[in-house]
Amino acid sequence: MSRKKLILPTFVLVVVVQLSVPAKMILDRENIIKEGSVHLFRTAPVDPYDPFRGKYIILSFADNMVGVEDESEWSWGESAYLQIAPDSSGFTTPQRVSKYPPDTGDYLEVMVSYVTSNGTNRLTINYPFDRFYMEESKAPRAERSYFESLRDSTQRTYAVVSVKNGEFVLLDVMIDGISITEIAEREITEDSN
Amino acid sequence: MNILKDLPELIDSDIISEETAARIRAYYQQKEGRPSSKLFIVFGILGSILVGLGIILIIAHNWDNLSRLTKTIFAFLPLVVGQIFCGYVLMRKRDNISWRESTAVFLFFAVGASISLVSQIYNIPGNVSSFLLTWSLLCLPLVYLLESSLVSLLYLVGITYYAVETNYWSNDESHIFWLLLLLIFPHCHNLYKRNPESNFMSFHHWLVPTSVVIVLGTVAGRVPELMLVAYFSLFGLLYLVGNLPFFSGLKLRSNGYRVIGSLGTVVLLLALSFDGFWKNLIDKEMSTWMLLSREFLTSALLTLLASTLLYKQQKGMQLSEIKPASTIFLLFALTFVVGMYSPIAIVLINIYILALGILIVREGARMDHLGVLNYGLLVITALVICRFFDTNLSFILRGILFVAVGVGFFMTNYWMLKKRKTDE
Repeated sequence: MSRKKLILPTFVLVVVVQLSVPAKMILDRENIIKEGSVHLFRTAPVDPYDPFRGKYIILSFADNMVGVEDESEWSWGESAYLQIAPDSSGFTTPQRVSKYPPDTGDYLEVMVSYVTSNGTNRLTINYPFDRFYMEESKAPRAERSYFESLRDSTQRTYAVVSVKNGEFVLLDVMIDGISITEIAEREITEDSN
Repeated sequence: MNILKDLPELIDSDIISEETAARIRAYYQQKEGRPSSKLFIVFGILGSILVGLGIILIIAHNWDNLSRLTKTIFAFLPLVVGQIFCGYVLMRKRDNISWRESTAVFLFFAVGASISLVSQIYNIPGNVSSFLLTWSLLCLPLVYLLESSLVSLLYLVGITYYAVETNYWSNDESHIFWLLLLLIFPHCHNLYKRNPESNFMSFHHWLVPTSVVIVLGTVAGRVPELMLVAYFSLFGLLYLVGNLPFFSGLKLRSNGYRVIGSLGTVVLLLALSFDGFWKNLIDKEMSTWMLLSREFLTSALLTLLASTLLYKQQKGMQLSEIKPASTIFLLFALTFVVGMYSPIAIVLINIYILALGILIVREGARMDHLGVLNYGLLVITALVICRFFDTNLSFILRGILFVAVGVGFFMTNYWMLKKRKTDE
């Protein structure tokens, strides 16, 4: 076959591959949402002066420490597998951390952001989900509500995450059981009234 | 072209005939290409970039009222539109550069947009490395199918960013960049065969060496000091490539290889003319395993390549004809070995800079080129300024040095201009 005749079929192949990448991403996530187990992660106060990052809000988490047997085996920046399970209050907390994916139970791939060096054998970890995207007009209002609720100890703020085989989808951020999108929408209407 | 404006005058004065004038016009027209088609290419590309980015922004609004399904369908929209356009161009407008370039660029951005939009819809955290790699690889075929040089340039930027992000800005390590770089060379070769003097070609002459210079540092592991030998040899190699018959005919602004090779050599030499690096080198314990380290192997390979090229280029030439900057890498490799045992290496480096400056000045004088001449003087000035800061020379001596270099500037420029006048 001449070179010119090959160009079109090759182009069709490229088109299919280009389409398949986002399609695969979508199918994988939909599968996690459908079949994964839902975990609630308590969020923690962050510096309210953290510059607003456009159309998403930045999340940080309260339960971000986990004990290890020997701190010298761990170093900053490496990735680890964190086993997670809900505690008595219904919120998910870290259980155990390992270098390889565990055989049973839900787990996440996390990054070690701090390792103690005084023998207390504790790791601080970064959860892989730290951004929640929102409509651009709502994001600033939502972030304000998010910070206000974090400072108000009576309110409970948490992220809803679906987890399956180490993969995850961040579904929503809730303040006392109501979605932050809904709160932002309600407050924007109140502000304009 | 100025000469075209002068043609009527030349015809009037009976210096050239009408026929010759017509031939001159035809020659330049063919050489330059139609100016309007160049404009079409530029505006076509700009237009498609703007439309592409505009669509991305509109979708990035993240319409909350739309369901997840609708949003994902919209994420595919720019991608599908871009693909339809490219398909149309491949079938109907394959010979039109501005169509090919603009649709290919649009599709390039559309691919990146739809991946990031899906990430946004599902709150997938940004792993920049894998995103850049996927994006670049998905768009590489466009370089060949649509023969798009701009996508080729964007691909180069993409893989360089990928290598930097993976190796310098995070703890991972990946050397796939070198393979990815090789994948673009057939396009460079095609471009060279088709249109060696085009703007796209000169952009490639700048971007390819820049990208290699940036990424070479990712090889560094446990013996980072050895990377300096690798860098000197790389700059030497680039300089020598820039002196190959094809490149030496180019204007300096199109010859990125030569400029980067020469500037890189000078900057590294100046940086190493301070004693910090050499003090550490003497203290470092060297052992035989380092001979198998990847830094050593890289340095050896680059030095070998550059030496071979140097040998081929200078064969049969007189010693005085050898370009001064092309031999520094060999001298540095030797100096590095000396530097492991003796602090005399710093003195040697300073001598090299001075000699290089003087030789460049001489070359400039011989070529009757004020730019080259002053470049040589600048090298000497830079050396003097560096030494001004870290030596214990008395103020009087430093003052005299500065005055001497300043007078040197005046004298050489004056001498050259005067020589030009008498030649005229």
